[in-house]
Amino acid sequence: MLAQSKTARQRIVDLVGENGFILIFIVWIAILILTTRTFLTSQNIFTVLRQSAIITIVGIGEMLIMLLGGMDVSLAAILGFSGIVSVSLMVNYNLPPLAAGVAAVAVGGLIGWINGFLVTKVRINSVIATLGMMNVLNGMALAYTQGKTIVGPQLDGIAFLARGYIGPLPFPVLLMFVLIALFYLVLNKTLYGANVYAIGNNEKASWLAGIKVDRLKMLTFTLAGLLAGFGGLMQASRQGSATSSMGNEFLFPILTAVILGGISLSGGKGKVQNILIAAIFLMTITNGMVLLGISLYVQGIISGLILILALSLDRLRYRRT
Amino acid sequence: MDTFLSVRHVSRTFPGIKALDKVSFDVTRGTIHALVGANGAGKSTMMKILSGALAPDEGEILLDGKPYRPANPAEAIQASVSTIYQELNLLNLRTITANVNLGREPRRWGFLDEREAERRTTSALERLGAAYLPTKTMVGELKVGEKQIIEIAKALVSECRLLIMDEPTAALNDQETNSLFAIIRELKAGGVTILYVSHRLKEIFMLADQVTILRDGKSVHTAPIAEVTPDSLIGLMLGRKYEGAFPEKNRALGEEILCLEGLSSPPAFDQVNFSLHRGEVLGITGLAGSGKVELGRALIGDWPIANGHILLHGQQYRPDPSRAKAAHIGYMPEDRKKEGVLEELSVRRNIGLPSLAGLSNRFGWIDAKGERCLAQKEVDDLAIRTPSLEQLVRNLSGGNQQKVSLAKWMAIRPELLLLVEPTQGIDVGVKMEIYRLIHEIAASSNAILLVSSEIPELLGLAHRILVLNNGAVQGILDGDQTNEEEILQYTFGQKRGEQL
Repeated sequence: MLAQSKTARQRIVDLVGENGFILIFIVWIAILILTTRTFLTSQNIFTVLRQSAIITIVGIGEMLIMLLGGMDVSLAAILGFSGIVSVSLMVNYNLPPLAAGVAAVAVGGLIGWINGFLVTKVRINSVIATLGMMNVLNGMALAYTQGKTIVGPQLDGIAFLARGYIGPLPFPVLLMFVLIALFYLVLNKTLYGANVYAIGNNEKASWLAGIKVDRLKMLTFTLAGLLAGFGGLMQASRQGSATSSMGNEFLFPILTAVILGGISLSGGKGKVQNILIAAIFLMTITNGMVLLGISLYVQGIISGLILILALSLDRLRYRRT
Repeated sequence: MDTFLSVRHVSRTFPGIKALDKVSFDVTRGTIHALVGANGAGKSTMMKILSGALAPDEGEILLDGKPYRPANPAEAIQASVSTIYQELNLLNLRTITANVNLGREPRRWGFLDEREAERRTTSALERLGAAYLPTKTMVGELKVGEKQIIEIAKALVSECRLLIMDEPTAALNDQETNSLFAIIRELKAGGVTILYVSHRLKEIFMLADQVTILRDGKSVHTAPIAEVTPDSLIGLMLGRKYEGAFPEKNRALGEEILCLEGLSSPPAFDQVNFSLHRGEVLGITGLAGSGKVELGRALIGDWPIANGHILLHGQQYRPDPSRAKAAHIGYMPEDRKKEGVLEELSVRRNIGLPSLAGLSNRFGWIDAKGERCLAQKEVDDLAIRTPSLEQLVRNLSGGNQQKVSLAKWMAIRPELLLLVEPTQGIDVGVKMEIYRLIHEIAASSNAILLVSSEIPELLGLAHRILVLNNGAVQGILDGDQTNEEEILQYTFGQKRGEQL
């Protein structure tokens, strides 16, 4: 008693719906290839990929939290704070790069753990808890740096993270692909991934099925913190300095990449590989407008319009219940 | 015969399943027409088509002789067809008046005419014998039975001529059910045609004039109610002869598994003592609000315990789902959609979920083949009807969802199963299979705690029946010695066991 196959029209709607932003992405790339000489050079492509790396890596953590049905708005702030910690440890305290790096990542993990504690034990809504955390961290960053840039020759020790190469591939790009592949496996093949999807789908039923929901949430917030801490280290390496505002520019790209990547705001649904594509898409929008010589004053309008268009197509799939 | 609604060769297909297959039946004007069938027979689909929530793939429907094909629920209401779903669609934070007039608020010069809305509400409530309800009350403060009345009042205000009701008594007690029946008969006398969808055969024989039986998406029979018997009706629903629901009880009881000592959580329940042995089915019953559901939930850690002890195999036990799972205790909650299954996940993952830790290696890598085998075995054992293991549970019928919520615990080979209203809202076919499973679990010397409001099923399955009233244990009755009447006396608190 199998159903008749879908109509052709429905198939097209499905195809566009499932891959809405990818379609816009392809169109945008086609425009850039046709109208600029520089877009399709390996140098430019690597630039775009390199810019996507931090967003993707921190975005993975955001995705894990959103799969659980929560949201963490403090990840960009954790990134900035950890970046300052690592730079300060190297420049002001002359710690070796490895120790400073480990410390920065650990600080990120600790803050993530506190977020998890607030959400699971104190039972504060995750957006509110992390909004508070974001303000605390941004305030601490400002108080510590007094608004000054921290910079020093010691930072050469971490330059490899953002600017190094392994063979022909930039290190951050390689790392980005490796992490996406790793988390693809984690989410689809392991107990942790199965539990994340289950909790995001129905927390109460998952708890009653014997899953330790609170422990898994704490772990996930911590993991997101660790990834954000590492992102801070990479950003410090990339800009070769630390400033109190170094996390700010990541707040929206991280959330946009995850939402554009189709991670459901109510949890339980989404694929990690889509975050990679979405992050690259975001960077291509900016990159393309620079290549096209579009005035800085107009760029915001155009990038906003492209995003809305991509998201609208993406919602097609929800039109039919 | 004056046919009011005529359904002709209506079909509807969903991915993987033909929900309705050329269904035809006629409903006579001004009668109560029952629509019955096992879960998955197509009742809900038929209802959704009539209420405008779904469109049929083929076939036609005539309403009062004219083609009827609503594009959405609003058009159906416009065409004087109102539907009351089992999960009532009321706004809890608005008043009775606001709810009753919702979507058809009277207007005067473009403004809401509150006096007219008030008048309509009062007159509808009067017709329903519920004039005592103050129209300014928030609907959220009403009892379920009263909410049901508000839904009907809503239908009256929209001048409905065909009222479709889906399991309207599911959440009502006997008294509320009786007054609802009086109202339904009153509506019928007033010329409204009623399509009554229910699993409860008793009610159908009390209420209906005609009955249509659906099975596997086909309409198998339509007849005046006088021409069928409960057994022949069940036979038609199942497609085979019906031979009693309950297997012989297991007689070989073993050592004690669970023991409650003065377990209390006032005001839900207080001073509950009992022990449960291998091979035994212990029933727990009581009226709504007696504390029976809370007691079941407390044993899995989903309800706080104020005082008392639980001993599991003689050891102190503090309830918690993950500890329970480790101790091979399964728990089937009352609300399967919200707590029993994960609707957006596959049948495979739903069944495998409690077993995943055992199926993965020390890196947390899941043995995918093992999970599939495990799920397939349970799907076969429980005869779960699904096109594949990868089907989303959302797309299964209610009875099959219920089986999935049981299957995942069967997969951990439970020593103790806590079942809360396991047969609520499911048809007689699935019920019988669940009874068979309960029997099998007990017969293989494991224990079952069966919290249920269905006295016949307790009598048929349980060795002993503990009755609660207002949180207090009224007695523990021998399942073979007692009868329905005695249990009822205990549930109403009119009688108490001497030993207590």
